[in-house]
Amino acid sequence: MANLKYRILLIVGLLVASAWALFPRTVIERVKRDGVFVYDTVKRVPLKRGLDLQGGMHLTLEVDESKQAVANKSEALDRALKVVRQRIDEFGVAEPVVQKAGEERLIVELPGIDDAARAQDVVQKSAFLEFQITDKTQALEKVTPRFDEIARAAGISIASSDKLSGDTSKKVGVTSLLTQKTDSANKDSTGKAVGATGADSATKAPVQTGGLFASNVQPGQIPGQYIIPETAYSAFERAFALPALQDAMPPGKVIRWGVDSLVNGAQRYRAFYVLDSRPIITGEVLTDARPSSDPVEGNVVQFTLNNEGARRFKVETGKHVKDNMAIVLDQRVVTAPVLNSAIGRNGQITLGGGSLQAAQDLALVLRAGALPVPLKVAEVRSIGASLGQDSINKGGIALVIALALIVAIMIGYYRFSGMLAVAGLVLYLIYTLAMLAGFHAVLTLPGLAGFVLSIGIAVDANVLIFERIREELDHGKSVRLAIDEGFRHALSAIIDTSATTILSGMVLYQYGTGPVRGFAVTLVAGVVASLFTSVFVSKTFFLIWMNRARGVQTLSI
Amino acid sequence: MIRIFHNSKYEFVRHWRLAAGLTLAFIAAGLVTFAITGGVNYSIEFTGGTLMQVSFKQQPDVGVMRNTLDKAGITGAEIQQFGSPTEYTIRAREEKQVASQAAGAEGISKKIETALRQQFGSNAMTVVRTEAVGPKVGSELRQGAFYAMIITAIFTLIYLAIRFDWRFGMAAVISTAHDILVTFAFIKLMHLEVSLTVVAAILTLLGYSANDTIIIFDRVREDLRKRAKGESMARVLDRAINETLPRSVMTHATTLAATLALLFFAGEVIRPFAWVMAFGIFVATFSSIYVAGPVLLWIESRYPRAASEAAGKAMRAGAEQPATPPAKPRSNERAVAR
Repeated sequence: MANLKYRILLIVGLLVASAWALFPRTVIERVKRDGVFVYDTVKRVPLKRGLDLQGGMHLTLEVDESKQAVANKSEALDRALKVVRQRIDEFGVAEPVVQKAGEERLIVELPGIDDAARAQDVVQKSAFLEFQITDKTQALEKVTPRFDEIARAAGISIASSDKLSGDTSKKVGVTSLLTQKTDSANKDSTGKAVGATGADSATKAPVQTGGLFASNVQPGQIPGQYIIPETAYSAFERAFALPALQDAMPPGKVIRWGVDSLVNGAQRYRAFYVLDSRPIITGEVLTDARPSSDPVEGNVVQFTLNNEGARRFKVETGKHVKDNMAIVLDQRVVTAPVLNSAIGRNGQITLGGGSLQAAQDLALVLRAGALPVPLKVAEVRSIGASLGQDSINKGGIALVIALALIVAIMIGYYRFSGMLAVAGLVLYLIYTLAMLAGFHAVLTLPGLAGFVLSIGIAVDANVLIFERIREELDHGKSVRLAIDEGFRHALSAIIDTSATTILSGMVLYQYGTGPVRGFAVTLVAGVVASLFTSVFVSKTFFLIWMNRARGVQTLSI
Repeated sequence: MIRIFHNSKYEFVRHWRLAAGLTLAFIAAGLVTFAITGGVNYSIEFTGGTLMQVSFKQQPDVGVMRNTLDKAGITGAEIQQFGSPTEYTIRAREEKQVASQAAGAEGISKKIETALRQQFGSNAMTVVRTEAVGPKVGSELRQGAFYAMIITAIFTLIYLAIRFDWRFGMAAVISTAHDILVTFAFIKLMHLEVSLTVVAAILTLLGYSANDTIIIFDRVREDLRKRAKGESMARVLDRAINETLPRSVMTHATTLAATLALLFFAGEVIRPFAWVMAFGIFVATFSSIYVAGPVLLWIESRYPRAASEAAGKAMRAGAEQPATPPAKPRSNERAVAR
């Protein structure tokens, strides 16, 4: 019975290998301790849970070309990928995934993230840095009637009580507020860009009367800056998004919101800026950024440019002396100091009363790299850890119940042979899980469902074989011959099942997203394992049984 | 030993008209619902838009929730209770909302969250799940799912074509196609949401259904070889179906046990998948008896094969199988005994 010996050897060998693959092992990973991520050794079963089971966030990012076309997207994405990965590392996430999907997208997976909004900000929102000169041609005033027409046509308006114009006290409030703001904001740069101008623009008459723009927009302290009441913010946001309005923009100009709202007593205001659409430099040329605290200027971020950037910056800032340069971070104006002279390699961003934390955050994203291209979110899925745990629990219950039912059916119906099948099923479970662990497959909720389902399908092979053995026994064949014939005849059908299921699984893997891929992998692993256990392992069990009970005349099946 | 359907001699094929009527009625019902309610109930992944699952501390007023969302500019949101009375799903996928997500998929979900927190208090709720899909990704996933179905179907067809001669292959193909159609009707009638997971269920079914037909057809082929002179094709079919009946029932039972466990215990998220699987398994068994069989019969009657050719073809097609022992005398006896 050398043949049998080898069979047993193979089964046991695979079992040992599986046990080894599934054995809880110590791994070094990032874990959260008291809210801080540290590297630590953790002992756990090496089965990876998908985001839908452990909670976390999945982001699909793509290049945002709405502002300007990007020539070589794939290459830009490669660089963006490095930046995003670096940032996530600094942000602190256990086992993040950042990868390129196709030529146009990045996939970011952040397991265990509970503050999805902040994570997303760090990944995507921050640090596309542009330096743009503010408009001083009063371009907005020229197109105000046209803008109002468009806003009216789109039905955008706000309640009259929110209007600014005609209310002198409010206007004064805005002016004083702005003076205050610019005072701190514009003492800027390493002694090269200093001071606030634009006091004259505040004295300008309100743009016009009637209409969304005419009655709400108030010129700000510096050229190209405009103020609206906070209450009108969403109306303006919608208006700016109108395609017709974008078409009507003065050529070569763009509108950007300021970062924060401005507070004056009970009133809140928003600033927006009209800027030259062409940035003089972008964050690409930035090589370093450091937070710094200064008793006079408050918290600042000092930055350094590379050779090419410094050269261009010097030329451009030289051309625009006495103009205001807006520092635009992710399309929001951080500050807009006056350029007093040309700036070369080193510059400084004043946060205007921002906290040191804010300076550090800004420096971090700038240093970790400004994104070479703006990224936008094409898809986001986030799942709370509690829901994930809930899915695991429920999936586990379903698994146990399915197993209990199947074991009951198999043993109740096939008796002794059923027990052999159940023994095979146990091996099947171990092999499948080991395969998933071995291939570093990710266990997802659909994957869990696929696993439960594959148990049902796995017994199918046994059913086929047993029914065939019964028939052969009916035909009056000896037990030994019947078992032999039963396995042989059922083989082709079992191979068919496996082949068709594996085909479906492969196609699903190709076209599916994360969770469904988990399903496909589990299904295929399950089918492969079941092919082995039902055909090879069960047969071996029968062989062992026949060996021990030689000359047996009956089979409990 | 317990035996079910042992040596049964049901005349399955005779009732094919009734079966055909039933399944056609079912498909028609599906089509009518489709026509009335308009289109398939796609999930967020396919339509684009935003889905949020929110868990409140206390049961919120749905009317207030709806008003809050309307005021925030999220009109026409679908608000549904999900599982427990304090859990709700909110789906925002009106055309303009989906379109606005082209510029950044997260926009709507942020608006919803801000609005709800302002209304109900920021500690009164937790967002347990968010899915925000931009229009481009949505249409790509839709396309991907479509291709996946087509490609799986083609692969399965090719597999069947290689596996059998064309008569069997054709019948198996029609039966599998029937299963998919009926499953779609079921999805429509149950108003299930078609997500990628449901598509995965359909694709799994495609394989399962083809496989179920293969097992019966294998037996038909085997029985054809030992067919008694003058025995009708219908007889052979009935015999093959009866012989494989215990297996069909047992397999059905175990697989159904697994899917029912999923349906009742695995939670709300996976339920549509479990429904489709449970129904599909049932249909697959039904169709391999009542669709594949009669269609095969019809093809055989249209394009009859000579007795010798039949055996030869069957042998050739079954070449990958190990040679079967010569026809057993018993099968002839049984045919005579009938």
